[in-house]
Amino acid sequence: MCVGLASRVVNVKNGTAIIDAGGAQRPVSAGVLTDLEPGDYVMVHAGVAIAKITQSDEDEANDLMESLL
Amino acid sequence: MSNTVTLAHGAGGKQTSELIEKVFKAHFSNPEFTPDDAAVLPAPGGRLAMSTDGFIVSPWEFNGGNIGKLSICGTVNDLACMGAKPLYMTCAFVIEEGFPMDKLEQIAAAMEKTAAEVGVKIVAGDTKVAGKGQCDGVFITTTGIGQIVDGADTSGNYAKPGDAIIVSGDVGRHGCTILIARDDYGIESDVDSDCAPLWGTVETMLGVTKDIHVIRDATRGGVGTVLYEIAGQSNVGIRLNAADIPVDDRAKGVCGMLGLEPLYLACEGRLVIFAPQEHAEALVAELRKGKYTANAAIIGTVTEENAGRVIMETEIGTQTVLPQPKGELLPRIC
Amino acid sequence: MNETIKAARDIITSYDGRPLRIMEVCGTHTHEFFRLGVRKLLPEKVDLISGPGCPVCVTAVDFIDEACWLALEKNCIVCTFGDLIKVPGTTMSLAGARSQGAEIRPVYSPLDAVEIAKQTPNRQVVFLAVGFETTTPSACLAAKQARELGLKNFSLLTANKTMPNAYQALVGSADAFIYPGHVNAITGNAVCKKLCEEQGVSGVVAGFTASELITALAVAIKLLDKGEPFFRNCYPRVVKDEGNPEAIALMNEVMEPCDNEWRGLGLIPGSGMKLKAEYAEFDARIKFAMPEIKGKPNPACRCGDVLQGKCKPSDCKVFGKGCTPLHPIGACMVSDEGACSAYYQYAGIV
Repeated sequence: MCVGLASRVVNVKNGTAIIDAGGAQRPVSAGVLTDLEPGDYVMVHAGVAIAKITQSDEDEANDLMESLL
Repeated sequence: MSNTVTLAHGAGGKQTSELIEKVFKAHFSNPEFTPDDAAVLPAPGGRLAMSTDGFIVSPWEFNGGNIGKLSICGTVNDLACMGAKPLYMTCAFVIEEGFPMDKLEQIAAAMEKTAAEVGVKIVAGDTKVAGKGQCDGVFITTTGIGQIVDGADTSGNYAKPGDAIIVSGDVGRHGCTILIARDDYGIESDVDSDCAPLWGTVETMLGVTKDIHVIRDATRGGVGTVLYEIAGQSNVGIRLNAADIPVDDRAKGVCGMLGLEPLYLACEGRLVIFAPQEHAEALVAELRKGKYTANAAIIGTVTEENAGRVIMETEIGTQTVLPQPKGELLPRIC
Repeated sequence: MNETIKAARDIITSYDGRPLRIMEVCGTHTHEFFRLGVRKLLPEKVDLISGPGCPVCVTAVDFIDEACWLALEKNCIVCTFGDLIKVPGTTMSLAGARSQGAEIRPVYSPLDAVEIAKQTPNRQVVFLAVGFETTTPSACLAAKQARELGLKNFSLLTANKTMPNAYQALVGSADAFIYPGHVNAITGNAVCKKLCEEQGVSGVVAGFTASELITALAVAIKLLDKGEPFFRNCYPRVVKDEGNPEAIALMNEVMEPCDNEWRGLGLIPGSGMKLKAEYAEFDARIKFAMPEIKGKPNPACRCGDVLQGKCKPSDCKVFGKGCTPLHPIGACMVSDEGACSAYYQYAGIV
């Protein structure tokens, strides 16, 4: 329902963030994450940064499996 | 000479001669380049390969090449896939009225340089000028003839169960480059086209072994399309290991943004090779020394089962079908 | 394959308890489950069913007809996510309208459509606003930006949908839901927790990478085996309990709930979002005084039943015959996320 792109914030200016994924860069809206800073990792959907990413998917999966066992 | 191409340049009179003289002859000059109605050539021995290809690309210039380079590479690579050393080429231009003359020169210069690298001679050409809006910049059609190396015998029908499948470099970069150059989606990237003439690559491989079953260059539709073509033509199954398919990080970034699969994106300098397993390592080792093929890799094998289909080994250790490429590539958001 | 994935695989493949029905609500999850061949891992006792979370699949035929009307009758530039272009309307898709001369532009973001409007002041530009809570903030931002710029040539054709009432419509159709991670990234987890506490509906929130999906599935199976209703956030690196408060505030500022037609599920009260009265000038239906357009889906198509898990795609008469990804009849065959498209493309191996 919603393809998301994990990417790094390079720059933030006037409500717009430049994000980078593998060297591909694009301006996206920081309109619903107004405290973004360069270096943050974000999930981007339809040209909008919708959430900050706080760890890697592998660490997350490890934690999850440990909690199960 | 005027700064832009005009309808008069295509009318066959004095201005046409001037265009040919100043632009094309200046760049394609060789003893066989003909002012007559047809080039007259010595007959090469053995078996010949012949191919033709039309080129339209928007924009005509992109990171890593232009339509001129592309028009030589496309036909050279088609010939090379049959194990043929490209000898002669012809080219036909359709130029939009108003196209800048210096840009046309740039295109001709790229053709000259690429042809020289391969050692193929451009021996005849044709120029037509289309009214404004009747074509987009420049369209080029090239035709080439090549001499098949003794002992080489490749065809899309020859893939056999057990063959290793090799790709000569990372996939999908040309397609990404064109998407970026069109600037429809506001993405910036320094990704550059893989556009390259690959006769030297094929010559090197044939030096390792003549026992190569299939060589095909991946163009529009990408490596995924080639794999389905060969699976169908040879009536075999194909098993790929997803983790082994080389994809440049920059291409991954662009594809990630747009929800596209690199295996379906166009390449213009990538070969897909089917060869007996015992030669695979040696071929890849040799390819990795080449300037266009440093990322060559074995990506899969040919199977008897699942004829006509391409099966992927996934990162969680299951097998799944690579979906058939379908028509227009549209960025996916949902 | 790393140890975590292996451990998750083991939990899934070795399950041998009561029969389980797990519904992945989100179409991107459907797509990834197929891409990863996850169904091949499932033991006989576990059934994975695809839910209605593909915006393309649940978009009503009427909506495509409305978009074609705007493009052809009103000569608007219609900007859309690429996914919608091939979805059949009553007589044609947007691709069909394009071949009749309509200007249809795929865009990456609704904000790009605003940019197009800015650059083409002499043409009306309409963005087709589909999608769930994840996507709706982008449409709201576009409307807000157009207002700030004072644009008179930009509007939205809205079909935005929200999940809470759809969950109510789906209660009972599965033992556990795999909740759409990026919806919860916006909305937070309150609705899902409430479903668990008040109605005993179990579920896990999942991310989208291979390790995220397979571990979330393993967690669901393991917890279902224990028998107690549960809610577990398996995507904490992106999904916070409170969601994204700024995005929620934005949606409430620009849009308001409305009833909404879902292909297959019918009219679900309060399951849609439309522009508020103060944004009426950006509502394409109002702006162009659009007549009521009632579409007719192809009667042979069973997308509706497929979306509710009432039948498998292969039970539909036109599946794989008249209806293929290249010539889709129903929306579920169009989108890569659609259950029919996934079944067709991965046939014989799933």
